[in-house]
Amino acid sequence: MTQPSTDPDQLHDQFNEVWGNPRGWRALTIVNHTSIGLRFLITGGAFFLIGGLLAMLIRTQLALPGYELMEPDAYNQAFTMHGTVMMFLFAVPMMEGLAVYLIPKMLGARDLVFPRLSALGYYCYLFGGIILVSSLLLDLAPKAGWFMYTPLSSAGHMPGMNNDFWLLGITFVEISAVSAGVELVVSILRTRTNGMALHQMPLYAWYILVMAMMIVVGFPPLILGSILLELERAGGLPFFDVARGGDPILWQHLFWLFGHPEVYIIFLPGAGIVSTLIPVFCQRPIIGYRWIVLGVLTIGFLSFGLWVHHMFTVGIPQLAQSFFSGASMLVAIPTGVQIFAWLATLWLGRPVFHVPMLWLVGFLIVFVAGGLTGVMVALVPFDWQVHDTHFVVAHMHYVLVGGMFFPLMAGLYYWLPHFSGRMPSVRLGRWGFWLVFAGFNITFLVMHWTGLIGMPRRVYTYDTGLGWDIPNLISSIGSFIMAIGVATILLDIVLHFRFGLPATKNPWNADTLEWATSLPPSAYNFVSLPDVSDRHPLWKDPDLPDSIARGEHRLTTIDHGRRETWGTDPLTGKVREIIHLPGNSWLPFIASVLLAGLCLSLLTKFYLVALGFTVLTLIVLLRWSWENGAHPAAAPDAKTQPGEPPLHSRTLDGPGLWGMGVTLIANSSLFLSLLFGWFYLWTVAPHWQVPASTDLDGSLLLASAVVLSLGTLWMRLLVARLRRGSHEGLFGGLSLAALLSLAQWALLLWVLLGAGLKPRETTHDAVIFVMLMYALIHCGLATVLTVLQVLRVRIGYVGAKAPYEPVVVEQLWYYNLAVLWAIYLVLVPFPSTWGGA
Amino acid sequence: MVFQPLRALVKWTILALAVPLLAACEGAQSTLDPAGPQARQVALIWWWMFGVAGVVLVGVSGLWIYASARKPRDVGSEEAIRINRRWVIGGGILLPTIAIVLLLIFGLPAGRSMLPLPLPGEQVLRIEVTGHQWWWEIRYPDGQVVTANQLVLPVGRPIDFHVTSADVIHSFWVPRLGGKVDMIPGRTNVIRLEAAQPGRFRGQCSEFCGRQHARMILPVEAVDAAEFDAWIAARRQLVFARLPDGEAGDLFRDRCGQCHRVAGLTDGDRAPDLTDLASRPTLGAGLLPNDGEHLRRWLREHQELKSGNAMPLHDDIPDATLERIAAWLETLEP
Repeated sequence: MTQPSTDPDQLHDQFNEVWGNPRGWRALTIVNHTSIGLRFLITGGAFFLIGGLLAMLIRTQLALPGYELMEPDAYNQAFTMHGTVMMFLFAVPMMEGLAVYLIPKMLGARDLVFPRLSALGYYCYLFGGIILVSSLLLDLAPKAGWFMYTPLSSAGHMPGMNNDFWLLGITFVEISAVSAGVELVVSILRTRTNGMALHQMPLYAWYILVMAMMIVVGFPPLILGSILLELERAGGLPFFDVARGGDPILWQHLFWLFGHPEVYIIFLPGAGIVSTLIPVFCQRPIIGYRWIVLGVLTIGFLSFGLWVHHMFTVGIPQLAQSFFSGASMLVAIPTGVQIFAWLATLWLGRPVFHVPMLWLVGFLIVFVAGGLTGVMVALVPFDWQVHDTHFVVAHMHYVLVGGMFFPLMAGLYYWLPHFSGRMPSVRLGRWGFWLVFAGFNITFLVMHWTGLIGMPRRVYTYDTGLGWDIPNLISSIGSFIMAIGVATILLDIVLHFRFGLPATKNPWNADTLEWATSLPPSAYNFVSLPDVSDRHPLWKDPDLPDSIARGEHRLTTIDHGRRETWGTDPLTGKVREIIHLPGNSWLPFIASVLLAGLCLSLLTKFYLVALGFTVLTLIVLLRWSWENGAHPAAAPDAKTQPGEPPLHSRTLDGPGLWGMGVTLIANSSLFLSLLFGWFYLWTVAPHWQVPASTDLDGSLLLASAVVLSLGTLWMRLLVARLRRGSHEGLFGGLSLAALLSLAQWALLLWVLLGAGLKPRETTHDAVIFVMLMYALIHCGLATVLTVLQVLRVRIGYVGAKAPYEPVVVEQLWYYNLAVLWAIYLVLVPFPSTWGGA
Repeated sequence: MVFQPLRALVKWTILALAVPLLAACEGAQSTLDPAGPQARQVALIWWWMFGVAGVVLVGVSGLWIYASARKPRDVGSEEAIRINRRWVIGGGILLPTIAIVLLLIFGLPAGRSMLPLPLPGEQVLRIEVTGHQWWWEIRYPDGQVVTANQLVLPVGRPIDFHVTSADVIHSFWVPRLGGKVDMIPGRTNVIRLEAAQPGRFRGQCSEFCGRQHARMILPVEAVDAAEFDAWIAARRQLVFARLPDGEAGDLFRDRCGQCHRVAGLTDGDRAPDLTDLASRPTLGAGLLPNDGEHLRRWLREHQELKSGNAMPLHDDIPDATLERIAAWLETLEP
């Protein structure tokens, strides 16, 4: 092994050899977080323009009473797609994209922990977004509102493909949201640079950690809801049909279980930008770091207890309404804590008013106004008046534009030199801000009034003589001013690539590590990974960018050809292992193309083709999982430098274990939503029907659960022996586990086939069908993964020297065990004790 | 120099707030022009909340801008923590907590007046409202009166509206009387409202219900008790015995009558009851004034006037027949 060089250029060349991005069509194989993050941002920007165009159409139509630029269904498509595009294709991916770009750099890591997953997420987002938006061109866009309330969205009332575009397209896009969520959680917890303890990481990372966790828990209820509604529309399974025992309100619960956390999923990264920028422009540390972290965590928890405040008019019992009313208002406290901690920092600092600071002041005014109207609509009697009026449209735009768009613009101007290496124009930047700020307030301030004097939302036109004409015209004029402002910003950004002054090193004198990379950054971020023991590494050691580039810190070996970054302790940030990351790969692109094919074939109802795509996708994903650990394409050679920790695949606790854990949290959120639906229907559905007799064989289901219990116990013994460093009998042991898994799966299949379910006739049977299918899919997956482990033991990728993978698979076994027993309990003892059949 | 625009901003914000306030609160559908005790309570809550929120918004924004502009002296880190704690606890915890407690204490009771709680000694009127895409079915069970797209109420008497839907989710809302409640298939929700003064108000569906959601308007009229009793009595006895003459009569019975009911003649129940059609203020659920000219236009062009509605086109009916039907429809009133 040669002595590492200290010449930055030479080091760069060596690192670029391993990390560099290919050009041309091979650029599709890039998995690097910087490239993926930028792609997210650019794609999100494009979808923002589409959503904005739809908003312009809406405001044009409403400018005058009785004006019909679009016919009613076109208008309904426009407002449905405006909300859908802005929420799912702009706000969430944009914030995730920025986090994907920034998080590793802020934490002093070289990449996110699952680079191929980043790429898969991006392509799913891109293809899903294109499928969804293409429906506009085909005049087949969804038209039941972005909330898709049943029964309006059901096949009986809207038979066309319109709503299928929404259900399938959004679910496809959500793969991206959830995978980025999982990846961000694990990256933040496990890849911080040496010494960066949890209480020392940048506040932005805290915000993203909570946001990502919220995505992981918050999106699955909607994914479940979308699957159920699509099964109802395409397969006739009546989950939301009152006549067959379902309940349309169940859809609302599932939707808002997602929908309310969604608001904070969008707002928290925005607030994270605010918390990052204020100290930089005040040139002093943020005051009240702990207060802010506490506030963010509180918001994360509270936001899951508020969803019913979107449903105050559906006739929920009053006691429950009062509870949700109070809980909704409580959010004002952790939000207030942050606002006043920012205020205290401004109070003691000497803020410099660069363009990002303008956006921050704009954020404060707009967001506080939105928060105050939020407290108002949390009051039940007032909500009964203004719910579904333009007052709520105004409120929600104040919160979302104030809480997300304004901070995003502040962040965009702040990090622009990082993306491009050039500074934006101050003059155009100011114009852009003032036009957007003025246009926004002209549009939406008056809209509160429009709502109070009685104008409902989602109406394609209105009569004159109700006092609505002038406020609507003002709103429309304001919206065009705002559009000019957005165009100005766009122009500024485009021009800056050509005319912007080159950025100096750390141009804002920031404190966080992302400014220690070169501008624009290279694919590997840092040649050497510095130890960090302070919340403000760049203020403590302004020379850090240079010393990093000279390779004066750690993990500088590259001649093994592996992409490596630290794996650290989640609490203390002490280095525990070296995480070796996969390089560029076609697999994510291929997998997402196949998933797009699956989505399209479901949309066009070619179910056999869909089955084909499912199998192909599965094969590609398994192939992907094959190139891990001791596989020649990953890390066949486990040698590390003396004094350095082992490779993660040679330990028992790598990022994959954490990735599996966080994924199973998402999965359990979906399963718990299904159980919630089951209990909800039993207790609340107005015409709940239990078939007079059932062929569901409880003892067979019990037998399946018992076999799975034995299998899991066996798996546990095998892994325990592996932990002790012995792989004696591992091959035979895993083979037996796979056989037990298969037997249990077969028993479960027998239960399903023998149950004589009539899922098209009653909601009762439809839910049981979905539950059993869920268990079958998961147990089948556990079988396949265990078989693969058997093969990997045989080939030698897994064993006492590389004991990592069975530990990961074991987690899935535990999960399935919990799922199957839960299903047994709710299907067999519960109905009989509750008084059913 | 940067604060120039900020100062202008404050000025303009205040102006922008004032302008709509100067505009009248009046309007047939305005929550701020209450015509009943429930709506009045909510309007009052709104004005209080608006005042307090305005002060908070100006206060917090002003503080931020002042904090950005002031020239601070250097403080030690311990004092910084103290200053921060003062701000965070005072502004971030105490301020919202007090505001929330006050709001809940004064605000929540307003909702009780809209709940169908038992009222000792007072007779509550029960009216059933069923939403359809895109019209309103109204039943007065005490008087076995069925009508559509018009709501007539007695002044000064609490009314329980029992609402449900025949198809998708709608929402029943007469802003000048009070809050809204959703009309959900398979469920019946109840809301109690009361008109304190006679007059004409406007209700509108406020849950998105499909293509013509915007055209689902409910004209409401509050009349004094005696007039209301007379109105009910007249409709209770309303029965017709004669269809239009000749072909028009057969056609009405065989086609229109499949969906529309006219007491004594046809029994359809999928479309608005036509028994007192001629006495209603509007056609097409608030779309057109109800007069001879608009009635004829509606019969011919209803799919252009309100596209997607469930009534089939009448292209094949000769003008003369349609005219006879129209003339007969104009007689359907007490």
